[in-house]
Amino acid sequence: MGSPMEMNGGSVIAMTGKDCVAIASDLRLGQQAVGLSADFEKVFPINNQLYVGLPGFATDTYTLREHLRFRVNMYRMKEEREITPKTFAHLLSSTLYEKRFGPYFIEPVIAGIPAPSAIDPDPKPFICNMDTIGCITTPKDFVVAGTATDKLYGVAEGLWEPDLEPEDLFETISQTLLAAVDRDCISGWGAVVHVITKDKIITRHLKGRMD
Amino acid sequence: MPEAIQHRFDPYSSNGGSILAIAGKDFAVVAGDTRQSEGYSIQSRYQKKVFPLTSKAILAVNGFAADGNNFVKRVKQRLEWYTHAHNKEMPIKSIARLIQTMLYARRMFPYYVYNVLAGIEEDDGTGAVYSFDPVGSYERETCRAAGAAQSLLQPFLDNQIYFRNHTPAPGQPPFDPSTHPLSTVLSILVDSFSSATERHIEVGDFLEGYVILSPGRTSDDLIGEGVKGVLPEGMTVEEQDPEDLDVQSAVAGKGCRVFLVRKELKRD
Repeated sequence: MGSPMEMNGGSVIAMTGKDCVAIASDLRLGQQAVGLSADFEKVFPINNQLYVGLPGFATDTYTLREHLRFRVNMYRMKEEREITPKTFAHLLSSTLYEKRFGPYFIEPVIAGIPAPSAIDPDPKPFICNMDTIGCITTPKDFVVAGTATDKLYGVAEGLWEPDLEPEDLFETISQTLLAAVDRDCISGWGAVVHVITKDKIITRHLKGRMD
Repeated sequence: MPEAIQHRFDPYSSNGGSILAIAGKDFAVVAGDTRQSEGYSIQSRYQKKVFPLTSKAILAVNGFAADGNNFVKRVKQRLEWYTHAHNKEMPIKSIARLIQTMLYARRMFPYYVYNVLAGIEEDDGTGAVYSFDPVGSYERETCRAAGAAQSLLQPFLDNQIYFRNHTPAPGQPPFDPSTHPLSTVLSILVDSFSSATERHIEVGDFLEGYVILSPGRTSDDLIGEGVKGVLPEGMTVEEQDPEDLDVQSAVAGKGCRVFLVRKELKRD
């Protein structure tokens, strides 16, 4: 049996644009080389301005998603407000570090736009990723995770530019993801892209190679 | 009881770096970075791994530098013997087959190198790229990246050179990778290595390579008047005199022009 990180396959990427962020994943679920499903989304909504991608070991994708749903619902009831991307990132980071010596095999990616508040009236788009035990990085351009990580870095580094409008950001993240997963045996089988702006979310399924 | 210390000689090492070649309709471009490393140490910031073989064939060698240097030396020796026997340069397609047999001769103790051969085809003057695995499996392609940053470079080339996942507008003909102008290819080359330098620790210092122009070529030259915009910013070019190239100049092929191109890679 191989490493849990490469058992099921799958990749996620997030990018920032001008007053928008995008997050995308492939749709493959496999058992090593055997493909099992072409509708396994790895990106989940937390609220209507915040998405999280959980690529890695598929059973942990489910476990973490359910655990986070529970924690975010409890947060919403107690606080009577939505969790912000930054707070959510720290919640997830702590959750992962709690399992420091028996980690979830997940490399999360977070993308969102915080709602304006009294302290921060004009919030900036937020992206971050972390390793399996919760070490956070928050670059200003893009974050990647999953089995096509190297390829995603190579293409994103070449295609990304600052301050893209939502439709241009959509094209950039889509081309980056498709180019990368087409060179990865255990990613692909379709893709889904979410572009998050202040007042709406555009979700599109991409037509890609199904091999 | 303390275990007895065992010593073992490992004949292989990996020296990082990356190489890249792109074929055009009537030209070929081949380049590599000049950093040579072992583990986290930099052994040299300027060590060549792209070598002219003839007046129209260039070989880029990546992997284990000791094997690579020795392999190039022996390929050149075989080419010299060929010119003595036949009084002409070996065509690139024959060099490719020669390299296959030389690599496969060492099937059970391979040269730990990935070779990319680029140049001009003798019969039709088209740009050609041949890529090899360490034991001699080879193929002619339009473009190929190899080495440490191969996985960063190749998907970018799929997108920019092969137009993968691009759909032509309705009524438009399909995209054709062989129609890229030299200026576009050089921009893609530089952008590829700049990206790899950003994200891969074994890639950096300098980009160095060659541009070979086919004899029948008429459009955008690399030097002289009215060619501004062909070279990417920061790139320098020197036309190579066939006499100065370390090749069989006495019987150098006619018409192909070879240019050495260099660019410093980002320093931070």
